[in-house]
Amino acid sequence: MAGFDFSNYNRNAALHAKGVPLPKATSTGTTIVGCIYDNGVVIAADTRATSGPIVADKNCEKLHYIAPKIWCAGAGTAADTEFTTALISSNVELHSLSTGRPPRVITCMTMLKQHLFRYQGHIGAYLVVAGVDPTGVGLFTVHAHGSTDKLPYVTMGSGSLAAMSVFESMWKPQLNRDEAVALCAEAIKAGIFNDLGSGSNVDVCVIQKDKPTELLRNYIKPNERGQKERNYRFPRGTTAYLNQKIISKEDMRKYVSVEEASGDPNLMEVDI
Amino acid sequence: MTSIGTGYDLSNSVFSPDGRNFQVEYAVKAVENGGTAVGIRCKDGVVLAVEKIISSKLLKPGANKRIATVDRHIGIVSAGLIPDGRHFVSRARDEASSWRNVYKGPIPVSALSNRLGSYVQAYTLYSSVRPFGVSAIIGGWDSEAELAVDGQVGNGPNAGSGGKVEGAKAGGPGLYMIEPSGLYWGYYGAATGKGRQAAKAELEKLDLSAGNLSLLDGVKEAARIIYVAHEDSKDKDFELEMTWISTLDGPTHGRHEAVPRELLEEAERAAKAALEGDDEEDDATKGDAVDSERMQE
Amino acid sequence: MVGHGMTGMLGEDGIHVDMNHLKKGEVNLGTSIMAINFKDGVILGADSRTTTGAYIANRVTDKLTQVHDTIWCCRSGSAADTQAVADIVSYHLNMYSITNNEAPSTQVAAALFQELCYENKDMLSAGIIIAGYDPRHGGQVYSIPLGGSLHKQPYSIGGSGSTYIYGYCDANWKENMTEEEGIQFVRSSLQEAIKWDGSSGGVIRMVVLTAKGAQRHLYLPDTGYTGPGLTN
Repeated sequence: MAGFDFSNYNRNAALHAKGVPLPKATSTGTTIVGCIYDNGVVIAADTRATSGPIVADKNCEKLHYIAPKIWCAGAGTAADTEFTTALISSNVELHSLSTGRPPRVITCMTMLKQHLFRYQGHIGAYLVVAGVDPTGVGLFTVHAHGSTDKLPYVTMGSGSLAAMSVFESMWKPQLNRDEAVALCAEAIKAGIFNDLGSGSNVDVCVIQKDKPTELLRNYIKPNERGQKERNYRFPRGTTAYLNQKIISKEDMRKYVSVEEASGDPNLMEVDI
Repeated sequence: MTSIGTGYDLSNSVFSPDGRNFQVEYAVKAVENGGTAVGIRCKDGVVLAVEKIISSKLLKPGANKRIATVDRHIGIVSAGLIPDGRHFVSRARDEASSWRNVYKGPIPVSALSNRLGSYVQAYTLYSSVRPFGVSAIIGGWDSEAELAVDGQVGNGPNAGSGGKVEGAKAGGPGLYMIEPSGLYWGYYGAATGKGRQAAKAELEKLDLSAGNLSLLDGVKEAARIIYVAHEDSKDKDFELEMTWISTLDGPTHGRHEAVPRELLEEAERAAKAALEGDDEEDDATKGDAVDSERMQE
Repeated sequence: MVGHGMTGMLGEDGIHVDMNHLKKGEVNLGTSIMAINFKDGVILGADSRTTTGAYIANRVTDKLTQVHDTIWCCRSGSAADTQAVADIVSYHLNMYSITNNEAPSTQVAAALFQELCYENKDMLSAGIIIAGYDPRHGGQVYSIPLGGSLHKQPYSIGGSGSTYIYGYCDANWKENMTEEEGIQFVRSSLQEAIKWDGSSGGVIRMVVLTAKGAQRHLYLPDTGYTGPGLTN
């Protein structure tokens, strides 16, 4: 018979109906946001990477470079966001070189959506694309299946609901740079504090019309680890000893060659 | 030709120092030896006609057609190498059917000519091929009616489509001629092949650009012109093949068809009469007028 | 995100399964869309809700997409699929107008949409309404439902919200309405669809296509969908 074979689908649905649970989906928690303002656009992200229930990286980077004035915030499968943005960044640069013009945000968005659509959602990249170009300010979301939206403020990832609630209650038209940065940071913080999949710090990227792009890495660190009140370091002489024997370096040189390390004795010390 | 033996005529894709492509020019020579073909764009249709030189008494009269139907509304006649013409027609049919597959409707004559022009031109570029040894006349009628999309269900509102600009002319006759170089133009009347000079002279007398010639008169004129063009090679026998495409409410209902036998014979009689009565101009024209009146009854 | 429903998708016989659902996490246009013929052309209308499962991913979506000067479409189903199809058709119509030195007719657009939707029916969930105006044919409305068939209709409704307004539209439809009547018909039909369909909502967008070109309208829920109306 021609066409697709859906027999496994029926099997799975039958199993499911009998109460067999679906395989656990991998959580891809993230909060990413973006917001345009009078003279540019701000995007922001949290810095938690998870693998299942484990926090895989406490301070990862989710803001990806595409072009000097086009940046992407990525949610979803880390490897997919990383490689997809790298690929499109490369193609955008070649395109810009061949046209002799600065790249446009919509070009980048179109390349991303066509790439992701071709892979029918199997590339799990959920992106916020932002930037400025000669046509003005651009801010888009691109979903893994290849759909796009154009909005003045956007959120994505598992923390998007928390972040959107911040935008929906605090956003107003005609923001200035500082207000937009504060609003985005606030939205990310809502994700960090209210979404299990998001956490650690706030990264911000500000793209302005006639200024260089600012990447504010760890713009806010609301989860700084506090100083421990006590530690496990024992003072010298804690352990009693019965005798001691000192072997000088000269003695050792009789048997092996001894290299002097750099002078700093702290280098060899191990932190607890 | 002074250029023969200089080597510039051996291959396509090689220009001579004075900017000529000899292979294309030789292809034109092949066309100039072919039986005369003409096309006339009338106000209510298009006529295609060709002079088929009878190369053997053993050939069955009326068989071995030279004018091909490419799509329901388009016909092609060519002068020059007959097998090249057949290949050209085959390509035209592919283009017409490809258009139907994509756009779910008939290809406009202009679009078909454009695509075929590009196809012929490509054969002047590569050393591995030779140019087409034909000049082809493409005639057709683009439907003046609003066509449904092939396969559509339903007709839309009973009141019809709103906001239509009434009386705007749409569709109509189309006549193009493509040469071995790939060059093509749209024509009121086109002629190619051996007797093209005489044929063109006759076509020019018809004042086709005025748009007054009826399809029925066009059939008569086409037959006469083929007979006139044959005068120079009188020693050879020939057969006249004619096809036509009319308006939707005309005799062919927008389709490309052979001119009916009775009409063809009548046109041939009138053509012969016109030739014989060359010195008695009055009689001939009188005869013509009577003929056309009779047909319109 | 909702993917496979909690109760499974089996029918009563335990064998037949509703396969007409979206892939997990796919963005859906749970939608109310429509297009109508009227005296001077066509009107397209749509709500503005885009959902991923129960979450509204975009509350001000523009589901009315231009594919040529006066040929537009209403998109329903998967956002990714319908955007991709509209982008491809838009490219082909652009090429058509360049190579043939004339604007494509609405039929040409409908044929291109139909070819894509039918030939890729296994891979697409797209319900598209095409509406266009050209001086020769006037306004025309074509509908391409899920299987990829092509229907020429006086007016067409689509999307999940349309099920609630079949009766309303049938009772209130008139041929040859004025522009004002047409706008009122679309506006009130969509308002009804939004009221009853949970997957539809937000603002009502409209595009009026006539000899004058394309005009956009916007109706906000804040004012009970009464204004602001014409926006260009």
